[in-house]
Amino acid sequence: MRIRFDRGTLLFEVDRRHPNVSALPGVMWDPRVGAYRAPAYRYGKIIAELDDRGIGISDEVSLHRRIPGRFHRIELRPYQEAALDAWELSGRRALVVLPTGSGKTRVALAAASRCLSSAVCLVPTRVLLDQWCREISRVYAGPIGRLGDGDRRVEAITVSTFESAYRHMPRLGNRFGMLVVDEAHHFGGKVKDEAIEMCIAEARLGLTATPPAPGEAAGRLADLIGPTSYELLISDLTGQFLADLDLITISVDLTPPERRCYEAEMGRFRPVFLRFRRLSPTSSWTDFVRSAYRTPEGRCALDSWRRARKLLAFPRRKAEAVRMLLRRHRNARVLVFTTDNETAYNIAQTHLIMPITCDIGRTEREEALERFHKGELSALVSARVLNEGMDVPEANVAVVVGGAMGRREHVQRVGRILRPAQGKRALVYELVVRGTGEVRQAFRRRQGLGSR
Amino acid sequence: MVPGRLLKYTCEVRGSEVIPHFLGDHDHPWLRVLIDEFHRFAGRPRRELDHRLQEPLPCKSPPGKRALAAHTLSRLCRERQHAPVKPRDARRALFRAGRKYQGRSDVAWSVAAHTLNVSPEALRESLFADLPTERRLAPPPSELSPGELALRTNLSLAQTLLFRASSVRIEILGNARTIVRHARLRGLICTVRAPSSAETECSLDISGPFALFRRTLVYGRFLGELVPLLAWCNRFHLSAECVIKERIATLRLQTGDPIFPSREPRRFDSRLERRFAREFSKLAPNWDLIREPEPVRADGTLIFPDFALWRRDSPKRRWLLEIVGFWTPDYVRNKLARLRAARLTNLILCIDEERNCADEELPQNAFVVRFRRRIDAEKVVDIVERRSEAEST
Repeated sequence: MRIRFDRGTLLFEVDRRHPNVSALPGVMWDPRVGAYRAPAYRYGKIIAELDDRGIGISDEVSLHRRIPGRFHRIELRPYQEAALDAWELSGRRALVVLPTGSGKTRVALAAASRCLSSAVCLVPTRVLLDQWCREISRVYAGPIGRLGDGDRRVEAITVSTFESAYRHMPRLGNRFGMLVVDEAHHFGGKVKDEAIEMCIAEARLGLTATPPAPGEAAGRLADLIGPTSYELLISDLTGQFLADLDLITISVDLTPPERRCYEAEMGRFRPVFLRFRRLSPTSSWTDFVRSAYRTPEGRCALDSWRRARKLLAFPRRKAEAVRMLLRRHRNARVLVFTTDNETAYNIAQTHLIMPITCDIGRTEREEALERFHKGELSALVSARVLNEGMDVPEANVAVVVGGAMGRREHVQRVGRILRPAQGKRALVYELVVRGTGEVRQAFRRRQGLGSR
Repeated sequence: MVPGRLLKYTCEVRGSEVIPHFLGDHDHPWLRVLIDEFHRFAGRPRRELDHRLQEPLPCKSPPGKRALAAHTLSRLCRERQHAPVKPRDARRALFRAGRKYQGRSDVAWSVAAHTLNVSPEALRESLFADLPTERRLAPPPSELSPGELALRTNLSLAQTLLFRASSVRIEILGNARTIVRHARLRGLICTVRAPSSAETECSLDISGPFALFRRTLVYGRFLGELVPLLAWCNRFHLSAECVIKERIATLRLQTGDPIFPSREPRRFDSRLERRFAREFSKLAPNWDLIREPEPVRADGTLIFPDFALWRRDSPKRRWLLEIVGFWTPDYVRNKLARLRAARLTNLILCIDEERNCADEELPQNAFVVRFRRRIDAEKVVDIVERRSEAEST
């Protein structure tokens, strides 16, 4: 029996009547090519199963190799050591859940240094691509590949954005023996899961601070990467390994003209929404949107809702609050989080703060972060780019002007300022407009933070 | 491709089918107005045009189709950056000054402008001039007509729908080679079955390897790329199951649908083929050399011989010629396997000597002409003439 890698799958060149193949995990008969086929991520299990049954095979799948460079010694904190051991005990296939700022990247680097086989690290954004390359270069003396943000260089240790992995894994899926997935909670929903399904890597490590709730997505993630082997909450590390945190909510009002405008928009939205909820009390927001799109009245209601949200993104009193906070913390390192890029640019221009958005190029972004590290810039403003994974250890104040993505986003944002430092006390200001949906959203976000 | 939100008003799921609302002749008047609007906003920031397009046009135009056409048109218009100083330099200077003169922004603006030798107004103009919304629009291509814009918009719509499919079935007559070749080039699997109607010559099922396991959208982009190529087939009928509005619906496209075609596929694949065709025609005036003859079905797939050679005065004397030139070893192995399975008689195989094919790998009935850089047309003429004479005697 010959097994080879075929564009993200394993192809078994064997007779259809072969009794031993169809029972292998994930293997299906492909009538298009007259051969058995399995998704690449089943590789480890299939080979083990064939080994157990004593079936001889010609394995032409794997092209992964030992890394050419050398890892320096990586110092780990006790809980990082424990997370690594738990991963080893799970057969090197597991999800490690640690709060943001607790050094998940170091756990992954230590795991890679133990495996010593070629590895690919998947990261959600271009900014994190740069950060991972930088982190790896500190502990690994060898070439580092990059896939994404205009680069297409593949090396034994390669960092790739999710999007590039989705495109290139059919071609590269058999080159790596280890797969690291940063912010692994993005997977499991069947959207672009192919990025990890098409890779044969047997050693798999998922990293996240916000794992999906038990359900279909969590089950799929466990199948694709592995079960959760280690989990710590922010409260487990606060004080010793994470900075102490104060959460302050500042409630602001809309100005009378803003309030009139807001109420008018919500007046068009609410009746349609409430009618829908009365008829279908268990439905989700997505169900409502789908239903609303079917009628002109529903579409009009959705447009009104969008306009109301836009108004809440940066009303006048929030602008004043931002001004006051920036003045109060002029000697601190401040991160300002907004709902959208437009608000970020608005704040940047008014308060002369460097914006970090998807529109700012890689070199300029890196330069800005470097200047922030050195203290040449005291504040940065961002809508989404700084949300996840970005390492800005100097930051000690966060101002959340608005958010669009709910609890998970908030936990990740707060995590940006939790990196520990001598005598550091992190401060998170949340600006909430009174008498609007933001009050409930803020409450839910804080609940999310408590549970994580 | 267009953003998914634009599909909401431009296609409709009716029963188990998705019906794309293609633009037609009746849309040309407002498309002309739209093109004129783009001309009017040339040289101005994209933000201003986006703002304008949120309002209706002076003539009646369906909002969904208008947004789709505007999206297609904006992709045809180039953008350029207009800034007195490089935006990156402007940001560096301003935010550095901002840090130094905290709370005194007017001073920071003046100092940064002075550093860069420009006025504060020019600095303000440059600060975010490289953002997508601030870039200046170039006018649309001058030769763009409302008809062409409608066809291009329809193509984007069809491709976006196929972006949500994991496989397609195409019934086809003529030029199947282009489709199969493109699909294979993209790593898709093509299987062939008998056509369901007499009007077409074969039915192709095209999907990617991973589509066996679940409905995946990873191949959608490649499936969409097939659409403009279909215009070069004499007749086609495409059907694909797409995930639209969280439902599975069948998209059907066929000959005559108003979709922008790709550029004409190349007549010859390589200089090697062109040169052979020229030399053979010179040496054998009694023979017709037909490029891309009808495909031959073999083992669930199609073989596309490069040439058919027909004796003009005796049409029964017919040869197929296949060139196995430069490619990967896997490609050559698969090609030879397919040719062996087809058991073609009167087949001439021209094999690049560098391929190093062993004799047992070759189809039994084939005549082999080995070549290096150039196919010797004389050898081919010799085979077809000698063999034809032998048959006639």
